[in-house]
Amino acid sequence: MPATSVAAPRLHWMTATVRDVIDETPRVRSLVLGVPEWPGHRAGQHVDVRLTAEDGYQAQRSYSIASAPQAAQLTLTVERIAEGEVSPYLAGEARAGDRFELRGPIGGYFVWTPELGGPLFLVAGGSGIVPLMAMLRQRAAANSTVPATLLYSSRSVDDIIYRAELERLAGQGDGLQVVHTLTRERPAGWNGLARRIDRAMLESVGFAAAARPRIFVCGPTPLVEAAARSLRDIGHELHLIKTERFGPTGT
Amino acid sequence: MNMDRQREVPLDGNAAGGRLRELFALDMTAAEIICDGCGAVAEIGAVRVFGGAMGAILRCAHCDTVVLRLTHTPAGLWLDMRGTRRLFVASPAS
Repeated sequence: MPATSVAAPRLHWMTATVRDVIDETPRVRSLVLGVPEWPGHRAGQHVDVRLTAEDGYQAQRSYSIASAPQAAQLTLTVERIAEGEVSPYLAGEARAGDRFELRGPIGGYFVWTPELGGPLFLVAGGSGIVPLMAMLRQRAAANSTVPATLLYSSRSVDDIIYRAELERLAGQGDGLQVVHTLTRERPAGWNGLARRIDRAMLESVGFAAAARPRIFVCGPTPLVEAAARSLRDIGHELHLIKTERFGPTGT
Repeated sequence: MNMDRQREVPLDGNAAGGRLRELFALDMTAAEIICDGCGAVAEIGAVRVFGGAMGAILRCAHCDTVVLRLTHTPAGLWLDMRGTRRLFVASPAS
């Protein structure tokens, strides 16, 4: 199925129950959810989460789905934003057994399915890895050998979300390459990339434009816009570059 | 996507997907919008959005024309698409 619009039942708010909480980094947590009504999703889609205070005040935000469509339980990964209204609860206070409302899945633009093929070039900054991780998890779950490269910018090694799992996936020898770049702190002996994502990096790490890779870029707005511009300048076709931006969190 | 911010920061049409589904029967993030200001074509997911608690303002990436305003009020939902010349939704089979 192409990543075009798909007729779907009307969105409605569903109850999600927190089953498990996983600390990914000091600022990022994954919430494993039980959603009995969940209709299934495609990698790259997101949900809207709605929290209601005792006085009736409601706050609503969007969060990417981290789990593969094949996973038994829906997982969101949330970065705690200090002045946020929703993320301090989701990424800080939420405990197993807590309930909140969500609706989804939402989105048909920033979506990859194994049938779309590859090569697949994923570019992430910070928690922008989340929807791309759903794609990599789906690729692995489907035993896909579509050539895939992830270029992932983090502030430091401790800020790399899903670090162990990415290492494991890249070690399976199924055509996935994971390249990290660290923008603020490097551990002693780090011999990997150590700067913000730029055109030269996209050119040397990614696939040649002639290979017509499907490209997904997700991260803070400045990173996404700079990367999209560079990818276009390198010669990648515009319609193969899909972007998703979020507020600046600094990577 | 982690768009938990009170400040007005540009996000994009992906974030407006849920609110647009309150009005449209189909996913709108993959729909193409043709800017009435300059004729540029863009998928809604790729269009910048300036949002807040009240709704979303989508602007053309090329000429900055406001192509869509979606506003929630206690009375209901307002949609203003004066900056959009045409909206194109591909059929699922295409």
